[in-house]
Amino acid sequence: MNRKRIEIMAKPVIMPRQGQSVESCILTQWFKNIGDKVEKGDLLFAYETDKAAFEEEAPEEGVLLARYYEEGDEVPVLENVAMIGAEGEPIDQAVSAADKQEGRPDTGSGEKLSGAGGDAEGEIAKETGQIVHSGLSADGERITAAGEKAGGGGPVKISPRARKLAEEKRVIYDLLKGSGPGGRIIERDILEAIRSGKRLTPLAERKMKGEGLGIPDQGKAPYGKITSRDLVERPAEVPAASAGDYTDKPLSNMRKLISAAMFRSLQNSAQLTHHLGANASALLMLRKQVKSGMGDGYPYNITLNDMICYAVVRALKRHPGVNAHFLGDAVRVFNKVNLGVAVDTERGLMVPVLLNADDLSLTGLSSRMKDLADSAKKGNISPDLLTPESASFTVSNLGNYGVEMFTPVINLPQVAILGVNTIVHRPAILKDGSYSFQPFIGLSLTYDHRALDGGPATLFLVAVKEEIEKLSDDLL
Amino acid sequence: MPKNLFLDPAELRKPKMLELDSIPVNQYKKTVKEELSRYSREDFIRIYRDMYIIREFETMLNLIKTTGEYNGMSYSHPGPAHLSIGQEAAAVGMAYHLGIDDFIFGSHRSHGEILAKGLSAIHKLDNDSLDKIMKSYFDGRILSIVEKGHSGDIKSLALRFLLYGTLAEIFARETGFNRGLGGSMHAFFTPFGIYPNNAIVGGSGDIAVGAALYKKVNRKPGIVVANIGDASLGCGPVWEGMVFSAMDQFNQLWEKDMKGGMPIIFNIMNNQYGMGGQTAGETMGYTIAARVGAAVNRVNMHAERVDGYSPLAVIDAYERKMKLLNEKKGPVLLDVLTYRFSGHSPSDSSSYRSKEEIEAWESIDSIDSFGKELMDSGLADQSELEKIRSEITDLVSLACRLSIDDAVSPRMDLVKNPELIGEMMFSNGSVDRMEERQADVLMPLEENPRVKQLMKKERYAYDAKGNPHSSMKLYQFRDGIFEAIINRFYRDPTLVAYGEENRDWGGAFAVYRGLTEALPYHRLFNAPISEGAIVGTAIGYGMCGGRVIPEIMYCDFLGRSGDEVFNQLPKWQSMSGNLIRMPVVLRVSVGSKYGAQHSQDWSSLVAHIPGIKVVFPATPYDAKGLMNAALQGTDPVVFFESQRLYGIGEQFHKEGVPEGYYEVAIGEPDVKRPGKDITILSIGATLYRVVEAAERLLKEYDLSAEIIDARSLVPFNYEPVLESIRKTGRILLVSDACERGSYLKDMAQTITELGFDDLDAPPVVVGSRNWITPAYELEDYFFPQASWILDAIHEHILPLKNHKTENNFSREIKLRRSRMGV
Repeated sequence: MNRKRIEIMAKPVIMPRQGQSVESCILTQWFKNIGDKVEKGDLLFAYETDKAAFEEEAPEEGVLLARYYEEGDEVPVLENVAMIGAEGEPIDQAVSAADKQEGRPDTGSGEKLSGAGGDAEGEIAKETGQIVHSGLSADGERITAAGEKAGGGGPVKISPRARKLAEEKRVIYDLLKGSGPGGRIIERDILEAIRSGKRLTPLAERKMKGEGLGIPDQGKAPYGKITSRDLVERPAEVPAASAGDYTDKPLSNMRKLISAAMFRSLQNSAQLTHHLGANASALLMLRKQVKSGMGDGYPYNITLNDMICYAVVRALKRHPGVNAHFLGDAVRVFNKVNLGVAVDTERGLMVPVLLNADDLSLTGLSSRMKDLADSAKKGNISPDLLTPESASFTVSNLGNYGVEMFTPVINLPQVAILGVNTIVHRPAILKDGSYSFQPFIGLSLTYDHRALDGGPATLFLVAVKEEIEKLSDDLL
Repeated sequence: MPKNLFLDPAELRKPKMLELDSIPVNQYKKTVKEELSRYSREDFIRIYRDMYIIREFETMLNLIKTTGEYNGMSYSHPGPAHLSIGQEAAAVGMAYHLGIDDFIFGSHRSHGEILAKGLSAIHKLDNDSLDKIMKSYFDGRILSIVEKGHSGDIKSLALRFLLYGTLAEIFARETGFNRGLGGSMHAFFTPFGIYPNNAIVGGSGDIAVGAALYKKVNRKPGIVVANIGDASLGCGPVWEGMVFSAMDQFNQLWEKDMKGGMPIIFNIMNNQYGMGGQTAGETMGYTIAARVGAAVNRVNMHAERVDGYSPLAVIDAYERKMKLLNEKKGPVLLDVLTYRFSGHSPSDSSSYRSKEEIEAWESIDSIDSFGKELMDSGLADQSELEKIRSEITDLVSLACRLSIDDAVSPRMDLVKNPELIGEMMFSNGSVDRMEERQADVLMPLEENPRVKQLMKKERYAYDAKGNPHSSMKLYQFRDGIFEAIINRFYRDPTLVAYGEENRDWGGAFAVYRGLTEALPYHRLFNAPISEGAIVGTAIGYGMCGGRVIPEIMYCDFLGRSGDEVFNQLPKWQSMSGNLIRMPVVLRVSVGSKYGAQHSQDWSSLVAHIPGIKVVFPATPYDAKGLMNAALQGTDPVVFFESQRLYGIGEQFHKEGVPEGYYEVAIGEPDVKRPGKDITILSIGATLYRVVEAAERLLKEYDLSAEIIDARSLVPFNYEPVLESIRKTGRILLVSDACERGSYLKDMAQTITELGFDDLDAPPVVVGSRNWITPAYELEDYFFPQASWILDAIHEHILPLKNHKTENNFSREIKLRRSRMGV
C-alpha cells in the first residue's frame, strides 16, 4: 500500500480521554453535519465530563463522512466518534483500515508483539515461581485496595480467565480499560497489556522507525500506551537513532528478578526519602587508625562501610520500629538485627543478609561482612540469605562511587533502607566559633510511610548520625 | 389407510339403526352348594384362605397406619397404604384361574391383587419351580430371611416369601420385592406374573395393552389383566389403551396366526368410588361401568358386570373370558362390582358416604358370607375356619415382625453407597436381540427396494470438487435412521414399530418408506391417534422383554403422552430394583413451519426427568450411529429428530455415512469443527445456523469458532466442552428450544461451575423467543438465526469490531422481557 493512499484514507476521530479516571464523556453538540467540508482545526463537536466542558477540533482536513453518536449520547473514551476522509470514500473499509493502523483493542490480530517484552514477561512468570508467589500475596492486598477505581466506578470488572492470566503474568489490571461487554476486562486485554511491553501501537512503532520520531515516556492511551498521535504531538527531544542502530539484549534471570522486585516495591508501597549528613571526622579517623594499624599487623581491614553498618545496627537497637517488616495489617518488629547489605556483583545487585548483626563487635561484623560479600560474589551464598524476608533492614552504600544523594528502593517487606553517600566537605562552625570545612557523609533513608511516620523515621536517621559521629578506636 | 379397505359411499350412506348387543349384569348367582361339583373342597377352602390372607394383611396395615401397632408390634409407616378391605373376593376371583404366564397389572390399591395372584401362582407352581424362583430371586436373599425357623412344605414357605416380600417392599426395605424402590403403590413380582402396579390412576390402562401386544406379537402364552379402578374410566390413557387393544386391523389386516384380538382383560375393580367421588351418580355418566365396552368395538368388548362380592361369580367370569381370549376374541372388559370398607387411605374420614352404606356392605361381607356358605355346605366347621384364620394371623404377624426389624430388613444404605439408586437409573445393556429366533420379515434385506436405492446414493454431501450433490442423489438424514432401524428389524425378532402413519405412508416424513414392504403388520402398524397409548403400550411391550420403537409425529404431541413419558417410561427400571429392562426408543419429530402447536423443541422437558436417555442428532452420520446405539441398548431413549434436517446430507464426516453397522456412543458430544476463539455448543438443527455464524465470524471478524454438537442431552459428557473452553475461554450455547428453561441453561450453569476459571465471559444461551411459534414466514424472528449468535457474542462475550447488531440482546431488554414473562 503506498503512502499517498494511506494519507487520503479516512481517519477516525475519537473521543479523547480527559484524565485517567474518565471512562466516558457526554457529546453535547455537533458543529458539523455529515457531508460538511472541514479544515484542520475546525471545531467538530463539544463534549463534557462531570467536571469540565471541552471542544474537539478536526484533526485533518476533509469531509465529515460519519457521525457515530448523537448529541446527548454518552461516549466511552477512545471510541470512534466520527470519520473524516475524502468525499465519497467508503466508510466501512476506512474504519477497519484505520483501526488496524491504530491497533485499537480488537481481536488481537491487529497488533503484533513489539520486541521481546511480551516473551520476557512470560518467562519471568515461568522461571521465578517463588517470586511470583510471594508477589501474589502482596498483589492480592493491592487489588483489594485498588478495587474501587479512582473515578468511583465500582469494583473492577474482569473475567475469571483474564484474572487468572493477569495473576499468572503479574499484570496489574485494575486500571486497564476492559474491551469486553460493559467494559469488562477480558483475556485479550491482559494479553494486550503483556504484549505492549513497549506500549507502542504498531503504527506508532512504524512511524517512529520510519519517520525518525522520538517517543514520549508515556502515551495518552490507556495504560500509558503510545499511539502515533502521541509521536506527532510530542516530537523527538533526542536525535533519532537511525533505524536498526540498537540491539535488544534479553534479560538475564538475575536481571528479571531484580526488575520484578524493584518494580513491585515501588508499585506496592508508599516510599519517601529523608536526607541527612553526619560529620565523618570520627569515621575517617577510625579508618585511618585501621589502615595504619594494618601496616603494624592489625588483622582486620575494617572498611568505612563496616563502620557505618555497625553504627546503623546500634541505631536500630535504639529504634526497633525501623527494624521491621510491614505485613499489611501488622508490623513485625524484630528483636534481632538481620542486616541486608547491598553488594555489587558481576551478576548484578545482591543483598546478602548478616544474621544477628547486633551480637557482633565491629571487628566481628567486619570479618563476617567480608565473608558474606565474598560468597555473594562467588555465587555460593545460601539462597536463604538473599531473600528480602530474611533481612530486617538494608544498607546500600554508593559512597565510593561519588554519589552525593539518592533514593534507595526498599526491599519489601522491610520498612526502610538506608542509602549511604559519598563524603563531601562542607563548612561547619566549630566549637570555638570558627568556620572550618568538615567531612560530611550523606545518609538517605527511604522508608515506607505505611509503616512509619516522618518523625520516628527522622529520629532513627539522627540516631544513625549520632552513632557514626561517636565511633572511636575503643571499638578496634 | 390400507388400500384394500374400501370406503364405499353407497354402503356407508345407507340409513339404518345401530343395534347394540345387551351387556350382562350380575347374571351369575350360584351358591357354594350349587357349585360343589365344579370345585373341590380344597378349592373352596383355598378361596376362603386367600381372601382372609388379604383381609388380615390389609387390616394389619390399617392398624399400623391408624394406631401404630399390630399384634403388640409398634411401627410407624409414613408412606402410602391404599387398602382394599372389602374387595378380597374380587381379587381372589380374578386371580383364581390365572397361571404363571398370565400377567396382571395394577393400580395404587393392589395389595390384594398382588397377594391373590401370588397365592394362585404358588398353588399352580410345582415345588421345583417355586424353589428355583425363591432361590434365584436376589440370590435367595428374601428366602434366607423367611426360611429361618420354617418347618413345613415348600408351598407354606412360599407363602411366607410372598407376604414378607410384599410387606418389606411396602415398608421400603432393601429386602422387599423391588429393593424397597417401588413401595406400596408399585410393588410387583414378575416371577409370579405380577407386573407393576401403578400410582397414577389408569396408568396400567395402556401399559397392560403393551404387555398383551408383546404376548401376541411374540407368540407368548398367557393373557394380561389390567386391574384398574372404576374412576380410571375418566382417564384418557385408559380409553386410549382400550381403543388400541380393540383395533380392527388385528382381525382385518393382520395375517396368518397373527390374525385375531388381543389377549387382554380390562378388569375394572369397581369399588364405586374414585377417592371420594362416586363414579355412578356423581362423577361419571355410565351408571354401569360395563357399558363403556359398547363404545369401543362391535362386540362391546364382551363386557359384563360381575358381582365382585361373590368369589365364585368372578371365577366363573374369568373362566369364560379366558376362553374368549384363547380364541383370540379379545379384548374383554369386566366390571367387577365391589366395595371397600376401608377408606381411600387411612386418613380418609369417609365424609363422602354414609355409615349406613358402609354397614350395608359390611353385612354382606364376602369373607363372612363365603365362610357361612362353606359351613352351610358342610365343607368346614367354625373351628376349622377359626384355625385357618389364626394361622393366617400368625403368618401376617411373622411377616410384619421380620419386615419392621431393621437388622433383618435394612433399608438401602445410601450413606455407605450413595450411588446405589443412581446405578439403577439405567441398565446400560448392550443387547443385539432381545430373543434368539428368526425374525418375521417379508423379504431378504438386500431385495428391499429402498435398501437397493440407498446403495446408489452419495453418502457424503459434497463431490470431490467440494460441490454439493443434488438432493435426489443424496443419502439423507432420514436414510440414516431408516438404515439403523431396518437393520435392527432383521436382527431383533422382538422389534416392533408403530405410531401414526407408520405403515403404507412410510411415516409422515418418509423415514419408514420401504419398511412396509419388508415387514408384516404385526411388526409395523398404524396406531390410533393416541399418543398416550402409543408410548404406554411401548412401555408394557418393553418391560415384558421386547424392543420397540413408538413414534410421536410431532414433538408438540408429547404432551398427549405426558404421563407415559414423564411418569412411566423413566421409572420402571429403577422402581423394579433394576430387574426390568426398558428397551424403548421413542422417536419424536421436532417440527417447524406449522405454527405454535407443531414447531416446538421440548427436549428440555424430557431431559429434566431422571431415567430417560435423550438424544438429538443433527447429521446423517450421527442419526444412524445414535439410532444403532439406542436400539442396541436396554434403556428408554427419546430420540429427537428435526424435520428441518430429514433431507440433509452428511456434511461433516468426510468418509460419508458408513454402509455397515456402527454406533455413536450416547452421551458424547462431537467437535464438528475445531476452532480457537470461541466455542459454540449446539443441540439439534441449529448446528447449521452455527456453521453459518462461524463462517461469518471467521470472514468478518477473524475469529475461529469451535463448533460442538451436543448430540445427546442425557447422559452428557462435559469433558470435551470443558476442554474446548480451556482453549477458547468463551462459549455460546444454542438450540431451537424456547430460551426460558432450556436445557442449555442447565448446561451453561454446569459449564460455569466446572470451568469458571477458564471463562472469559459468562456462557451465553441463545434459544427461541418465549413466544408461540409464529407462522413460517415469521419464523426467523422466533428461532435463533446466525445473526443472533453474532449479536449475542458481541453483546455479552466479545465485542466484535464495528459489528452492527440486528437484534437486541442488551441487558435492559433481557430484564424487561423477563419482567414481562416473555
